[in-house]
Amino acid sequence: MTSSSERNRLFWDRQSDEYQERHREFIGRPEPRWGMWQVPEAELQVLGDVAGKDVLELGCGAAQWGVLLAQQGARMVGLDNSARQLEHARERLAAADVDFPLVHAAAEEMPFPDASFDVVFCDHGALSFADPLVVVPEVARVLRPAGLLAFSHTTPFAWMCWDEESDHVVDRLVLDAFGLHRYEELDGSVGFNLPYGEWVRLFRGNGFAIEELIEIRPAEGAESTYQPPEDTAWARRWPMEEIWKVRKWS
Amino acid sequence: MGATLADGGDLEGAEVELSEHAQRNKAEWERAAVEYEEAGRRAWAGERPPNWGIWSIPESEVQALPEVDGKDLVELGCGTAYWSAWLARMGARPVGVDITDAQLANARRFMAEYGPEFPLIQASAEDVPLPDASFDIAFSEYGASIWCDPDLWLAEASRLLRPGGWLVFLCNGVLAVLADDPPNERQLVRDYFGMRRFEWPGEEGVDFHLGYGEWIRTLHAHGFELEDLIELQAPAEGPETRFEWINRAWAHRWPSEEIWKARKR
Repeated sequence: MTSSSERNRLFWDRQSDEYQERHREFIGRPEPRWGMWQVPEAELQVLGDVAGKDVLELGCGAAQWGVLLAQQGARMVGLDNSARQLEHARERLAAADVDFPLVHAAAEEMPFPDASFDVVFCDHGALSFADPLVVVPEVARVLRPAGLLAFSHTTPFAWMCWDEESDHVVDRLVLDAFGLHRYEELDGSVGFNLPYGEWVRLFRGNGFAIEELIEIRPAEGAESTYQPPEDTAWARRWPMEEIWKVRKWS
Repeated sequence: MGATLADGGDLEGAEVELSEHAQRNKAEWERAAVEYEEAGRRAWAGERPPNWGIWSIPESEVQALPEVDGKDLVELGCGTAYWSAWLARMGARPVGVDITDAQLANARRFMAEYGPEFPLIQASAEDVPLPDASFDIAFSEYGASIWCDPDLWLAEASRLLRPGGWLVFLCNGVLAVLADDPPNERQLVRDYFGMRRFEWPGEEGVDFHLGYGEWIRTLHAHGFELEDLIELQAPAEGPETRFEWINRAWAHRWPSEEIWKARKR
């Protein structure tokens, strides 16, 4: 394991119970929703029809997404780097009476054969906590031709406006764009991001066509168990969360 | 707009009605052309190698261009056509398109003095009197890429390109558009959501800047696949530019300019 995947495993094992308790109702609703403001998939139309498709979630947490997609007919596989998160996932699968493989591994070392999935996705998952320079080529490997990679994450824009001192996004550039890659949080976790152009080159260099970049603008007064109202107000002006949608060709 | 051209009528004397922002930008550039004359002359004279943007970063470093040798290329908003001159010397067959009399007059003068010769056409890049599918590369550096409505000029670029043709354009970096001028250059003073048309105090012109997702959507809508986004970094050392809206230290940390590359499906 890399040092970052080890640190993030410890971080998620440590905070899993508290995380699931804090967000239980907000992210546990009966239809798939994306991100910090839980915008419905029905509105964003990112994944499309998943029935009959092999779908991998990279960083599935308690498998809130996976259970709902399995109920829509997807052949789900959930991967997570944290054993404690996967214990929450097992409870959730049992409660919903669905069953699919839950794999304990870091996304940098995903134990799947080539060309085994139609959709790989995550919602603030492994593309935020594992090095995209390693993960995106791995996703290209496990996807079938015409397969979809879709993921939400915090925007490079918000990273650049992150003020560690106040623990908030600010209306001021703080962190350099050039060199953006790895960030060690005060909480012990390690986050990853890239400048916009490097994301584009990473996708293209691994045979992905870029279909869409959906920048989420929360509705006025949108609720979130992740962001305080002042940061949601920031996200009404500048993009804090985005969803990349890219498709494997070649 | 352009009904005469669409009908295939005689181009000479065709009355093309310019959009409101095109009229304003033409007026602005008739006035500002003199400020760009010397830089254009030096490029035509071969005193400057092909380079990008306000930090003059050499193409040999950036490597943004596709193969241009033997390609039909249209420069949309060519100004003094210094890029077309460079591209012609690299083997391209350029056509320069610009709306401004004064800019084209300078271009013709430099062409006569230094060569090489290629066609220069006076038109808005939102309505170009050239046939469909007649170019391999559409190019713009601070031309149509910021002075024209993205939907209008990308529709024209798409129409002018052959299938598989390249679109390469440079525009201001998104952060640079949204941030304040020095000395408060790190302060965000304009919103990202809704960004498109900008008017600046004391300036007659109107320019257009989109966010990242909106560029990708707009490129797709006009039949392009995104190939690359090159964020230009100003070298740490060197002189400041004459532009008051930017300084080198900022542009070394955040992209003040971006080159988008896309291909027509």
